[in-house]
Amino acid sequence: MCRILVIDDEEAVRNAVKRRLERDGYKVDTAETQAAGIEAIQTKRPPYDVVVTDMVMESPTSGLEVLQAALSSDIFTELIVLTAYGNVANAVECMKRGAFDYVEKNIPGVDVFELLSMKLQQALERRKASLVTLRRIEQYTKGK
Amino acid sequence: MNSDEYNGIIADPAFFAGISRLVVTSDSIDEVLQTILEHSVRVCGAVRGFLAIVDHDRGELDVRYTAGEGWSEEKRLDRLKVSEETGRGITSHVAATGKLYNAECVDNDPYYIKSFDDVRSELAVPLIDSHKRTRGVLNVESSKLSAFGADEERLASALADFAAIALKISRHRQREKALVQIGKELHGFTDSQVILQKVLDVAAEALKFEDCSLFLIDRATDKLVLRASRGALKTRIGQASYDIGEGLTGWTAKQAAAVRVSDPSSDPRWAGRFQELPTKDVGAYMAVPIQGRSGLIGVLRVQRKKSPYKWFPNDFTDDDERILTTIAGQLAVALDNVRLMDQLVKTERLAAWGEMSARSAHMIGNRVFAIKGDVNELEYMIQSNSLGEGEARKLTESIKNGIFLLEEILNEFREFVKATQLDLEEVDLNEMVREAVEEGFPKRSQTRLNLKLAEKLPRICADPKKLKRCFCELMENSVNFQPDGGEISVTTSIADARSKKWLKPGQQAGRYVQVRFEDNGPGIRQENKPKIFNPFFTSRAKGMGLGLSIVKGIIDAHEGTIFESGTPGKGAKFTILLPYEESVCKSDRKRK
Repeated sequence: MCRILVIDDEEAVRNAVKRRLERDGYKVDTAETQAAGIEAIQTKRPPYDVVVTDMVMESPTSGLEVLQAALSSDIFTELIVLTAYGNVANAVECMKRGAFDYVEKNIPGVDVFELLSMKLQQALERRKASLVTLRRIEQYTKGK
Repeated sequence: MNSDEYNGIIADPAFFAGISRLVVTSDSIDEVLQTILEHSVRVCGAVRGFLAIVDHDRGELDVRYTAGEGWSEEKRLDRLKVSEETGRGITSHVAATGKLYNAECVDNDPYYIKSFDDVRSELAVPLIDSHKRTRGVLNVESSKLSAFGADEERLASALADFAAIALKISRHRQREKALVQIGKELHGFTDSQVILQKVLDVAAEALKFEDCSLFLIDRATDKLVLRASRGALKTRIGQASYDIGEGLTGWTAKQAAAVRVSDPSSDPRWAGRFQELPTKDVGAYMAVPIQGRSGLIGVLRVQRKKSPYKWFPNDFTDDDERILTTIAGQLAVALDNVRLMDQLVKTERLAAWGEMSARSAHMIGNRVFAIKGDVNELEYMIQSNSLGEGEARKLTESIKNGIFLLEEILNEFREFVKATQLDLEEVDLNEMVREAVEEGFPKRSQTRLNLKLAEKLPRICADPKKLKRCFCELMENSVNFQPDGGEISVTTSIADARSKKWLKPGQQAGRYVQVRFEDNGPGIRQENKPKIFNPFFTSRAKGMGLGLSIVKGIIDAHEGTIFESGTPGKGAKFTILLPYEESVCKSDRKRK
């Protein structure tokens, strides 16, 4: 079963995201601060497949710090950044550094939970593809 | 005086040394002039003498000092009309001409008026100031014919000069005092019409400017608008205005240079639109620019009535211009400070607004996100036919709560915005506190309430709804933070110095009433004290945490202050100070 970590300082947000993702059959953990999230990433094994994190928590760059922790724990962990509507600069920065995508929390007229569900699926596919590639490379190098 | 005695005085340096010492050291102009007069009578060998001071406004001589024999109270109170005509008195003639007059035989003198029976000869010398104006007349009389010769004339003139010097020193002291007082008034000046007016009053009275008006440039219209006046223009403050360049006042602003004219209505620049005096009465006009740090702020102008006495010109002197320029300089510094303060307040408020918008957008965004999550779940359950009654109730409940939270945020936002928009009326503070306590204090409570309202509390000018909102908030806080009983004290009183030290320095001189809410709950932790009035600081999970910042906004808008001075662990103590003055309830009070 795929394992997801949701980090957000608002309980209502965490619960809503967790509920929706559990519906898709994922195992979802939550963390309510940047620090708690990073600790979970570093200690929980096997590593999370996807981390969904709020961009702004303790600091405006909380998302970046979570990304760094996730990538140093498992280079193929995918990260989706949740961000406030119209405030994407930092989220884009996260993508430049390897995050899978970002989702704005409040896009008028869009059901962001479905969007998030879809993005998560895509993220998992990329992770899967990455792992397949890695395995092939490993086999190839062994075969040599 | 025989010539030996006279020569004795001339030879005795101690005589003049004594007088000059007195002039320099004495603080009392009366003492100096009286002494000089007594010396004059003695050294001239006169039977009596007097010293009359010119009243320039009335064109009269005021017999203020007398010496020698025969003075009755009635004669002492005499006032003499100044006149150069014959038959109007020697003193009057000397005052008008500014020249010494020696009547060797009064019986044949064309100017002499009889006042004492024994007088045979009379000597009168004028007191002339550095502007060649007659300030007074020193007069000595003798029962002998031709009692006063060239020596006496010279001696009396010298003594009259001493008197003139003493008058000049006294006038300088008076000006210095006035300038110091103006400086004091302007120290800590915030933005009060009352203080501007007071400065003009001090300037006009002490410096003998009969009328005085202050025009300040209105940035919006770029006109000079009347802000304070002593004369007939008092009723047109805020209305009377000149374009820059219009009239003498406008010229002063345009050229940023002082104007001094003695017959203003004949000046080509004269517009005569707003005068403190009727145009025909304006004798002298002077205006100086008020130069602030970043350019011209306004114009300070003074006028004098036309003197009906041609021998007393009423022009402004170099001294007058220097004084007025000094006052204008002091005003400029004070007004500049006010402007800086205003800018600071605006900047602070703007920063608060930025913070406010960002925070509320964030909060609203998260709430809406959560509601959307509930709706998403609800839709899914309906579509998959898995919606049980319990689930449905749980989700709608959650949606409802989310919406209530949004409305609470919206409400606080609105109150924060409106906190500074006041609808002022005269209110009874005790009445309002009583109402707020009745509403905010729960009927069945373990907490005791101790309400102490001061009798005869002055009425204040306030927005009753907003103020009540403040009292209710504080009441609610006190009740909520001590659920298990205890005591809440609510008191009203006149603010004392200990409370007033919490006001801004510029406000501390004002008169304030105070309302205090005291409880013995947990109080406010020392590290939180500086933050409790900040927006979004909250220890309760309700709304956005704007409660106390709204209260502070409302109190600030009333030009009052709020502070917390309780002991952490022993209870909170909130005090509100609100100003009371007769003049506060003007309809034009600024809404910031």
